[in-house]
Amino acid sequence: MAEGDRDVWGKLARATQLLFYRRHRQPGARGWELKRALGRNYLEIIRLLDQEIQKIGLQVKEVPEGDDPESTRFHIVLKGSPPLAEARTFGWRIDDMAILAVTLAYILSKQGKAPAKEVERVLSEKFPKWKIERNLDRFIRMGYISKGEKDLLYLGWRSMVEVDQKTLLSLLLGRDRGESKDAEGELDR
Amino acid sequence: MSGIKRREALLRVIDLCRTVEEKGLDPFEVDVTQMFDKLSPFLQEIKNQEEFYLDIEAVLGLAGVIFQQGDWIKHRSSLLYLDPLLVMFRLQSLSEGTLADIMMRSWHPVVSKECLSPEGIREALTYWENLPSLKERGVDFETGEMQRAAEASKDSLLGMGVIRSRRFIEELEELWRELREGVGDEGEMSYWEFIGAKTYGDTVKRAYMTSFLVSYGYVDLEIDPLEERIIIRPLKHRLMEPLEDRGEGLSVPISIPKDRWRRGRLGG
Repeated sequence: MAEGDRDVWGKLARATQLLFYRRHRQPGARGWELKRALGRNYLEIIRLLDQEIQKIGLQVKEVPEGDDPESTRFHIVLKGSPPLAEARTFGWRIDDMAILAVTLAYILSKQGKAPAKEVERVLSEKFPKWKIERNLDRFIRMGYISKGEKDLLYLGWRSMVEVDQKTLLSLLLGRDRGESKDAEGELDR
Repeated sequence: MSGIKRREALLRVIDLCRTVEEKGLDPFEVDVTQMFDKLSPFLQEIKNQEEFYLDIEAVLGLAGVIFQQGDWIKHRSSLLYLDPLLVMFRLQSLSEGTLADIMMRSWHPVVSKECLSPEGIREALTYWENLPSLKERGVDFETGEMQRAAEASKDSLLGMGVIRSRRFIEELEELWRELREGVGDEGEMSYWEFIGAKTYGDTVKRAYMTSFLVSYGYVDLEIDPLEERIIIRPLKHRLMEPLEDRGEGLSVPISIPKDRWRRGRLGG
């Protein structure tokens, strides 16, 4: 193996460690951390890593934070979406997943922030109060939503990374029925 | 205009701007030009410092409204714009299963692996330093026939002194308070860490009481089978519905082997 190739593979291995292993409260790494570890061409290494892991159903997700490109967060996420029948495998109950969908969609429709009371009121049309409280607390802990001043709920870091917001809203409005399945039927099976 | 009326007018403008920001109302509901026309003569009439500060606050509030109008236009012209009423209507008309399906199809979970951090090593070291030796824990390896496991009633536990005769619910709430104070900002802690006590009897007692905290809706218990972790989270308010009514009538047997307790390896 040529010296240059060895160097690239070494950097790929380092990038893999930085992005897979959780070292902070949030998984992933920021641009400046990757630059420090991989050098100035860190974006090229990340793109190469992305190509490699796409072969096994994963991908690198970039989440810009502010104007500085070095503040961008890089995460490794599943390239596709798991089927509904596998929700439990991921530690989710179907109704908890539905509560998350309603919460995120409502916050998105309100320009990314909504009073907690309003979100609870919308959810209470379908779910019992105790379940709403438990789930909202859980979503805050997991980073799907965050609570700011005056009890306002915002989208959290995890929603920015894991949730394809356009797909969520398109599916919700029935704009994208391409792969629509009978979700109830799938649950029964 | 009199000082009182001027002050009231300034406070109304400040209040309006705050309401728009806090409640996420349409910022175009505020006629900014009209508001500035109203405020402009005040500057000549202001007589004291307090009115001057109110005037500044009102102008800043209106500037904030203009900023929100910019955001509002950006949001409405983006692909993500949806009328909140339309979204609410759709959310109400879809079943739980369909909503969950939509969420799953928009979801790309993060893949990450936990690893031992310097902080974790420090925590382990503290645990090791605070762990009493086997001698201190009075460990005499018992021999003889093992008793078979059997269900223990509340009366028999009272008789054995595992629980005190104090009102059961009071003891539970005391333990709940202890847990809430113990979890700190994290909001959760390891089940084993919480129930662990200096004697085996106390450990079993805490485990027994903790099971009631979960059943009676004081605490949320989560088991991560892959990581073999059991996490408990105190809830802010007790959930009044019995466990079965919450659709969570799961029975989770957790054994506390005495030999593992002796070795300080519960949950490990």
